[in-house]
Amino acid sequence: MKEVPVHISLPSVLGYERIAMECAASFAKLKGFQPDKVDDLKTAVSEACMNAIEHGNRCNAGSNVLVIMQFNEGELLLWVKDEGRGFKHKPEEPNIERKIMRLQTPRGLGIFLIKRLVDHVDFDAATDRGHAVHMRLSLPERMASNAVFK
Amino acid sequence: MGNENQIVIERHGTVTLLDIKGDVTSASESFFSQAYANPDASGARGLVLNFSEGAYINSGGIAVLIQLLAKTNKTKQKVGITGLSDHFKKIFKMVGITRFATIYDSVSEAISAL
Repeated sequence: MKEVPVHISLPSVLGYERIAMECAASFAKLKGFQPDKVDDLKTAVSEACMNAIEHGNRCNAGSNVLVIMQFNEGELLLWVKDEGRGFKHKPEEPNIERKIMRLQTPRGLGIFLIKRLVDHVDFDAATDRGHAVHMRLSLPERMASNAVFK
Repeated sequence: MGNENQIVIERHGTVTLLDIKGDVTSASESFFSQAYANPDASGARGLVLNFSEGAYINSGGIAVLIQLLAKTNKTKQKVGITGLSDHFKKIFKMVGITRFATIYDSVSEAISAL
């Protein structure tokens, strides 16, 4: 049976992504994730929320970013929902040499980091009110069997 | 939003230490530009960037660092980075920052090496 999800609603103000980041960290710790995985999750959540605030909701404070977290069968499932339409164009793959040579914007690292820090990510999850990023982080099997289910 | 940076500049011979207090985000850009504009920083042979323990660094902050590394790469200055947690050491390596700067365990080690 799936556990009841945790919902966090943020106004689209840069900096507030840290609220979701700390909540996700607390949730992951509660479910038995190790500190290195918790750190990975913190960065992934922070980057997904920043994208939702900046690009999805265009920093319109009145538009909310909804973060939903759920633990299910050893996996932490997380959705970051905004009111935008998702990616028009896939962002260019970051290349550090090109960035240093100023041939590519120094920004555009968020998606790159998220892809490498979680076990699975879907950037094109549609919702009834906009766009969502769906992430999944698995608890190692040994840890999953010891996880505290509350 | 968030805490503002303070960057303390200390000259150690041919190497200059930029002691970066606070979180590093896109809001840090002006602090980094201002610090690098100081002749002690832009004119040094080597630069050590010391981040605060437990600092929050996001992709916007990494972009600010890349902008600084674009300048140091042009002037062929050596750059050392200290004060990073294991997580951010991993992130900096992942992004490729370590191709343009070396991570050291301590400020003194970085100053001696540069």
